[in-house]
Amino acid sequence: MNPRTRQILEFVLDNLVWFMLVFVLVVFSTFVPNYFQLGIFANIIEASSVLGVMSIGLALVIIAGHMDLSVESVAALSAMAVGILFCSSGIGLGIQLNPQWLMVPVSLLIAVVVGGIIGASNGYLVVRLKMSAFIITLASYIWVRGLVLVISGGRSAQDLAPAIRWFGIQRLLGLPLTAWIAIACFVVFSLIMARTPFGRHLVMIGGNETATFRAGIRVNRNLVIAFMLAGAIAGLAGWLLTIRTSGATANLGVGLLFNAFAAVVIGGVSLKGGVGTLPGVYAGVLLLSAINTAINLMGLPANFTQVIHGLLVLAAVLLDAFKQTIRQRLA
Amino acid sequence: MSGVQPGMIGAQPGMSDPLLVLDNVAKNYGAIEALKGISFSIGRGEVVALLGDNGAGKSTLVKIIAGGLEPTSGRMLFEGREFLARSPAEAKAAGIETVYQDLSLCTNVDVVANFFMGREITRKVLGVPVLDERAMEQVVQKALASAGTRIPSLRTNVEHLSGGQRQAIELNRFVHFGGKLVLLDEPFAALGVEQTRRGLDMIRQVASQGIGVVIITHIMQQAFQVADRIVVIRQGVVAGDIARNKTSPDAVINMITGETLAGAGPAG
Repeated sequence: MNPRTRQILEFVLDNLVWFMLVFVLVVFSTFVPNYFQLGIFANIIEASSVLGVMSIGLALVIIAGHMDLSVESVAALSAMAVGILFCSSGIGLGIQLNPQWLMVPVSLLIAVVVGGIIGASNGYLVVRLKMSAFIITLASYIWVRGLVLVISGGRSAQDLAPAIRWFGIQRLLGLPLTAWIAIACFVVFSLIMARTPFGRHLVMIGGNETATFRAGIRVNRNLVIAFMLAGAIAGLAGWLLTIRTSGATANLGVGLLFNAFAAVVIGGVSLKGGVGTLPGVYAGVLLLSAINTAINLMGLPANFTQVIHGLLVLAAVLLDAFKQTIRQRLA
Repeated sequence: MSGVQPGMIGAQPGMSDPLLVLDNVAKNYGAIEALKGISFSIGRGEVVALLGDNGAGKSTLVKIIAGGLEPTSGRMLFEGREFLARSPAEAKAAGIETVYQDLSLCTNVDVVANFFMGREITRKVLGVPVLDERAMEQVVQKALASAGTRIPSLRTNVEHLSGGQRQAIELNRFVHFGGKLVLLDEPFAALGVEQTRRGLDMIRQVASQGIGVVIITHIMQQAFQVADRIVVIRQGVVAGDIARNKTSPDAVINMITGETLAGAGPAG
């Protein structure tokens, strides 16, 4: 095999999920009536913003060789905190700030800080107790959702303050600002992972934690930061969720965790840690969203989505194994 | 155990200012005494071969010096000052480099990333440290070329490299970063004859810069080829500490297996 073919093949393998996305879009555009429209594509991006943001945090922790099952509940808690404070009906307190726009940074800060605190506590427990992140964050997944039920009393908050709602309504180049926030998050965190020592260290910790410790990298500190970031980003996802639904219900976001896992795995992140990139995860998120949209347009019952997502995750894992064998042959 | 020649510390003739002094360093795992009290010293520019049977406590000792394992008792002096590395980061900051027996590479990233693991070259972009990949790649290229190591592409992930190439990365890493003291725990396990010879040359070259070297090995021939002094550990104590040119492989083997005890002593 000459170097050029080899290079092309490597490139295709590295970006396989993007090729899959393009393939799926072409197929749907050809066979699903009304699929090929700018509005539909904008919708795909828009619908994936909450899931996308949440997947970033999950991917960070998985790439570092751990796991965070709590992101969904954390997003719900942040959403509920913002909902209770800034919604005017239901259980909302309808707090008003002057000037109005001040509610935007304040609500955002509250959502991110709530998430960050839970994330940091997850990280601290994982590092200190040296227990499996799976168990620690499973506990958080349960108690944080419980906390949402407790503080809401099972009721919901509606009518989010218009100043915050503005982000879901205002559009730029055909996309609502919430979608741009998700895209900006992907760009920023992709750069952090690929270009900064912190990102590089997370990848290496996921690959061989002992080696990084011996090399003098402060593994524990990096891991706690990764968990904290995952929580904070989940909080941001919760904020977007409140905007999207203009309020918060006790069961907001249920099931998002599994979609986030699907997106991360489809995006090429290995659950063993150390492998995967955030642009790939974004492609995975868009792929899921593209398929959902196709199912909607074809008028299939929404229940099909779950079956298809499950199969897609299986396909992604098989594909990953297949990629490994090809790579080994390349080496 | 206690009372093992504490008076000997730093007393070797011609070694008025030892780089590292171990004074009765012990390590227990519960009731098991891995190290019962180790005392010896390493001078600047000196190559010490640390020999001993499997389970004699060599790797435990290396981990204590390199940070990551705290001794149960005893003390260490590094450059004349009390020294205890609570983490490898602290040891590294003090100038102690370590090459471990089981390779300490991250196979999921490329050669350059491994070479600079934990001390990446960065430049500031808007106040944020950003990896300077080009600068790092140049350094690695130069370091590997001067050591005669051939690796097809510095951007391939280490998982695609052979055992020898991987070990070469680690060896070149310590040669490049230097420091003051280098610990090598069976560094040539995966190397061929020619690469081993080059590795031994590297060690002499590093020592000639005034860096202290401790090399753990099983292969008597290597120890005699490269070391100035030979320290034998048996059952958690120093069973022999002798200049290379004052002993023979047979004598050392006897010390390792215990047929002669400390009689060969640290007379140097």
